[in-house]
Amino acid sequence: MQSKMLCGAYGVCLFVFLLVVANSRAADLPPLTHNLAAVENPPAAPPLRLKNMDDEIVDIKDMRGQVIVLNFWATWCPPCRREMSSLERLHLATADKGVLILAVNIGEDEETVFSFMGVIDAAPTFPVLLDPDSHSLEQWKVQGLPTTYIIDQNGRVAYRAVGGREFDHPDIIKQVVGLHKKPQN
Amino acid sequence: MKQKAFIVVLIGLMQFFCLAEATQTRKEDPDTGLATWETHADGVTFSLTQILQDQARAFYVNRGFTLDQIESYATSCVFMTVVRNDDAPGRIHFIRSNWSILTGGKSRPPEPVSAWIQRLKENNVTKSALIAFRWAQFPLEQEYEPGGDWNQGMISVGLSAGSQFDIIARWDVNGKPYEAKLEEVRCAK
Repeated sequence: MQSKMLCGAYGVCLFVFLLVVANSRAADLPPLTHNLAAVENPPAAPPLRLKNMDDEIVDIKDMRGQVIVLNFWATWCPPCRREMSSLERLHLATADKGVLILAVNIGEDEETVFSFMGVIDAAPTFPVLLDPDSHSLEQWKVQGLPTTYIIDQNGRVAYRAVGGREFDHPDIIKQVVGLHKKPQN
Repeated sequence: MKQKAFIVVLIGLMQFFCLAEATQTRKEDPDTGLATWETHADGVTFSLTQILQDQARAFYVNRGFTLDQIESYATSCVFMTVVRNDDAPGRIHFIRSNWSILTGGKSRPPEPVSAWIQRLKENNVTKSALIAFRWAQFPLEQEYEPGGDWNQGMISVGLSAGSQFDIIARWDVNGKPYEAKLEEVRCAK
């Protein structure tokens, strides 16, 4: 009983903490940047085969010929939360230009992810995949969240972005759409 | 005469901006009272922000920990840490265990994440809670390209509430070493 009350108290404490963080002036938060770093000698993308929120298997090898924006994230990661709406706006701006957005959630269950989707400005309409064991982070050599890879039409990792980004910034839209215009091998 | 005055002003401004670049700042959040120490060195931003023990408890209890399981971590002086490559001369690379906490005339690295994970495993922490813990920590090793690659994450300093220390972050660009130091940083009370 006592431990339940304590947990409830810490739940309220977290809520107040998140409220304060959410209301903090933008200048106090580390800025989201808008640069994608080109990867030298673009390597072949590692495999990725995970279930989406509808319990269907999604495999990036079936997406060859399209540009893929692959984002690794978690709901408890502040920059991941901040950039998620901009990923949706990138999706809306590029869906008809051969660009697919995929967000891989690390270590959380469907219910947690679904709850988060209900509280953000522009909730994702692109596929969100679940990696409950976090195995994909090793395969993709992710060292910190969020990390985003842009995979070209030939299945090669063309760009990498470590840390939060404004994905709907014109510079990023130009880089991503530019990849689709490159000739396929 | 005017030309001389212009040159003097120009040199003064250059000195000001050079000094300003190396200056450490301390800001306090008006709502929470929590302090952030920040410095910029050779194109890299390095900052530490205090985390209250109750904030750390609340964060991890909501990730599936019990209060008992997370107590020793929450009371170990935890900071939210940011490193960002704004415009360093190239890709920066760091290994967190090469950083130094300077306190009481001694130097040691931040508390190793592997040791915390081992302790938490012994306390029967669930798999999903362990994954959240591991990835909420500031990266153990990382590379940032210029133009804004960055991370934020938690670092345990391993000191008691209110303790004061200096911290040196170290990185390299193509093998050339660089460092940034924050002085008189204080653990939240």
